[in-house]
Amino acid sequence: MENKKTEKRSTNRRNFLKLGLMSSVTAVAGASLISNLTSDEELQASGEKIRLLTPDGKVVEVDASNINNYPEAHITPAESRKGIADRKFVMVIDLAKCNNARKCVEGCQKGHKLDHGEEFMKIQLIQDNPDAEPYWFPKNCMHCDEPPCVTVCPTGATFKRDDNIVLVDTERCIGCKFCITSCPYSARQFNWEHKAKFDDKSQPYSPETSVPGAEGTVIKCDFCPDMLRQGKLPHCAQSCPMGVIYFGDKNEDIVTNGEETVRFSQLIKDRAGYRHLEHLGTKPNVYYLPPVNKQFPLERGFDIDEEIIERYKDVPYVKELKKQGKI
Amino acid sequence: MNLTRRKSELVKEFSPMLEKTSTLSKIWIWSLVAIILVGAYALFLQIYKGQSVTGMRDNVVWGIYTVNFTFFLGMGYAGAFISSVLHFIKTPWKNSVSRIIEITTVLSIIIGPIFILLCIYRLDRLHYLFMYPRIQSPITWDVIAVITDLIGCFLYLYLTFIPDLAILRDNSKDLDVPKWKKNMYRYLAIGYQNTDEQKEKLHKITKTMSVIVIALAIVAYTILAWVFSLTLQPGWNSTIFAPYFIVSGLYTGVAVIILAMFLIRKYLKLEKYIRKVHFIFAGVILLILSLLFGYFTFSEYFPKWFSHKASDANLLNTLFSNYFWMFIIANYGAVLLPLVVISFKKLRTVKLITLTSVIAIICLWLNKYLIIIPTLETPYLPIQDTRPEYIYYTATWVEWALTFTGVAAFCLLFTLLIKFVPAIPMSGIIDNEEAQKKKKKRFKKLKTE
Amino acid sequence: MKNNIFKNQIIASLIIVLAFSLNALAQKNEASNYKMRFKFKTVKQTDNSRLLEVNFYGQNKKDRKDKISVADAEINFYNVLNEEEILLGSAKTSHEGIAKITVPNSQKYLINEVGLITLIAKFEGTEAIDAEEDDISIKDLFLELNLEEIDSIKTVIVNAFTIDSLGVKTPAEEVDVIISIQGMLSKMILEEGTIEDGVFEYEFPTNIPGDKEGNITVFSIIDDSDDFGNVIQQKTENWGVFDKEIKSEGNKLWSKAAPIWMYIVLSILILGVWANYVYTISFLFKIKKEGKELELAQQLENNQE
Repeated sequence: MENKKTEKRSTNRRNFLKLGLMSSVTAVAGASLISNLTSDEELQASGEKIRLLTPDGKVVEVDASNINNYPEAHITPAESRKGIADRKFVMVIDLAKCNNARKCVEGCQKGHKLDHGEEFMKIQLIQDNPDAEPYWFPKNCMHCDEPPCVTVCPTGATFKRDDNIVLVDTERCIGCKFCITSCPYSARQFNWEHKAKFDDKSQPYSPETSVPGAEGTVIKCDFCPDMLRQGKLPHCAQSCPMGVIYFGDKNEDIVTNGEETVRFSQLIKDRAGYRHLEHLGTKPNVYYLPPVNKQFPLERGFDIDEEIIERYKDVPYVKELKKQGKI
Repeated sequence: MNLTRRKSELVKEFSPMLEKTSTLSKIWIWSLVAIILVGAYALFLQIYKGQSVTGMRDNVVWGIYTVNFTFFLGMGYAGAFISSVLHFIKTPWKNSVSRIIEITTVLSIIIGPIFILLCIYRLDRLHYLFMYPRIQSPITWDVIAVITDLIGCFLYLYLTFIPDLAILRDNSKDLDVPKWKKNMYRYLAIGYQNTDEQKEKLHKITKTMSVIVIALAIVAYTILAWVFSLTLQPGWNSTIFAPYFIVSGLYTGVAVIILAMFLIRKYLKLEKYIRKVHFIFAGVILLILSLLFGYFTFSEYFPKWFSHKASDANLLNTLFSNYFWMFIIANYGAVLLPLVVISFKKLRTVKLITLTSVIAIICLWLNKYLIIIPTLETPYLPIQDTRPEYIYYTATWVEWALTFTGVAAFCLLFTLLIKFVPAIPMSGIIDNEEAQKKKKKRFKKLKTE
Repeated sequence: MKNNIFKNQIIASLIIVLAFSLNALAQKNEASNYKMRFKFKTVKQTDNSRLLEVNFYGQNKKDRKDKISVADAEINFYNVLNEEEILLGSAKTSHEGIAKITVPNSQKYLINEVGLITLIAKFEGTEAIDAEEDDISIKDLFLELNLEEIDSIKTVIVNAFTIDSLGVKTPAEEVDVIISIQGMLSKMILEEGTIEDGVFEYEFPTNIPGDKEGNITVFSIIDDSDDFGNVIQQKTENWGVFDKEIKSEGNKLWSKAAPIWMYIVLSILILGVWANYVYTISFLFKIKKEGKELELAQQLENNQE
């Protein structure tokens, strides 16, 4: 009897030991694997974690290696005044496909380390007239060819480059906010106070990344020149799940949304592309394709936080929906 | 010798204002200092915490600091214009008010730019305006204009001080003022002995200065108006903004001068010099300006209403819904009140005219508010935001405190300045009396011939 | 009594074992939540080398959108013929779950009777993840791309053929090909056609700008063909019609240099006004000088008296 007990116990112990060994082995292996994954390349922690499956079947979280090569080719504020050679960047936004997924807003916020309320790309709900169907209108900086904001800057902190991009040098900006008042598209924002993220010196400042920001300076969409120099689309274009945002070079007449690549002039011609507030003479470089034959019904775009739906409370259509109790 | 006696008489007459500080004066000065101290704390808060303590946010990025800047500069340029024009008008009564006007001018042009500095966040980079100026920017033009105008008006003020400083220096033994003041008088009078050559020189440069200051005042305030009207925004992109601003600036200037006249006449007991006729004449000018102001305001808004372009209609909608009472009071009050008070002889009293001016000042300040802020609240692309402070502008206590500090600083500097030099130019009084004597002599001569 | 205690002990120990094994299983379970996907593809590149690529990832069985890459897994690539196996190379999957090797053009492949090369990618497997294997059987296709102007019409000519062991060229039949050009951020498809009898011709559009010198890089791509895998060929030719002059900024309101008339007007105004100030101040100094002289004269008079 007792022998059996001890036998059983010893088997148990053996089992236990075996299990223990196994788990400790896997633990050690896993640990070495993780350290392997993280120590090998020069990982610049972007603060973001990606989940990977190790061959041993463990799900681990690793700092996403900053595959952004930009910091190695850091463009100083002085150099950023010259554009990327021989390019004329242009953006085309397809209003027929926009579904207010807001992934562009979030992608941009992540890429530029923006807080929740700061949006370089804003999604507006525009209803042109009471009979018209409203449409989602992604609006970022238009990078105009005749920018009123650049004209009024007293110190030259904001400037127009040869590649069409209008940037802000937050090391030169004195915070007079004249440019914000003169932009007819309300594309610019301001840093009204000091924020902790401004003290992050891990990345040297460049107007091409707009990171880190500075208090008391103007911020806006910058067409992500850091991504363009690496041959990648800007953050918003990359993040859009519907392929709404096309981006490209007017000189070579090609724009792409990541999946489709088309000729810019053909796209504008076929789809009657237009520019917003054309009559003001700012000559913007963001073209819009009219919301004809929309891919998605408008209501799908209301599948978002109530707080965001509140923004559109003055649009007649939303007022109707509220009256009908649908929202 | 008559002259020297007359001069010492005048000094004796005006010396009380320069020597003593009455209790009332002390209370006045110390309450102003108190206001300024509160403002200093508000300023500290703003610099320490950033401009998030103000009401300005991403859409209405210019608030009452810019309103105050425009308002004070309007006063300043108007004063410059008026005093320079007065220089060429040969009337005896202009002397009583000329110094008041000039001091108002210089002080406004000092206080006004301080407000715009409060609006600029990165004061540590202010020198960039001079290191990297972009001359296409209206703000660069404004910086140049304000600095030039400030120096010009200051020089002009100094030129008018010189004869009086000379009189004070010559009679300083009769004055019971501290030694440093007497030294200042001697130093600043730069050896002016009122000889014919010196007089001629002084008159020459004062005359050229007047001409320049007239042109400068108009140009400088036009440039300030262009800061708004050269943009594309609805409500700002107006062709008559510059004349509109000049007229409303003149109106403000005259109203402030009337108020200053009233206070100085009352508290320094200068009823002999600042007489009712001054008020009536200033009142008539006020009336003319108020009618011009009404005409320009109507010209601004009526075409917008009539042609109802979408962006203009939007703006008018904001004005007449959110700002309805402010609009009515500001524009109707400023136009109708002087009309009523000045038109009827019975109502043309010193007190009522001053009251009208005070109300006019408030109305004109509101008018500037209505020009600047509603436009920023109705951009071309609708503001679609949930945070109320990003949709509507409400000035915070910091901004109000600093506004009142500016006013208090203006009053304080004014008070201190007229304790240094008399509020009525003594040299002017003497010149007037000389001129009258000459006239009487000539008249007598004519009579006897 | 004793039996009960015994039973309890068994139960207790079983529970402990279970607990520990559950723990281990829980760790293992993470992998078993996912269904493994092992995708193998081959691309014949422009220099005729061959790229072998495996994408190894897991797809969550419950939430298909949840994909997780398998990193650091060793993948071996083989060229197989019957029993013979040549190890072409091995690679570890990256953070994106991709393992790839490039086999140079000089590699002699084992080819079967019909000319097929069989390539296998293998993952040996671990305790947690099962072994995976995928194979591709393709013919080695040679793709030639020529850009010629025939009768002043710009023509893209694609030739596709296989070469057998004797060096005999056999034209490829019925292969879909895509003609595209290089843009800054992506390739733009110009034409999708079929190579018939080893040849495909395409009239190149005459209005494509190209880069600033007018150079265009044209690609002919066979995408995911069952017979040949992926094949890419490229060529650059100066067929672009880029004619926009690359102007630099002029003297505009928004450029760094202002319109010339602004400089002139501003200078005149500022000089004019400040000249007046200098004039005024110089006169003030004159007055001061006169005053001093007068004072001195008076003092002398007083001294004399």
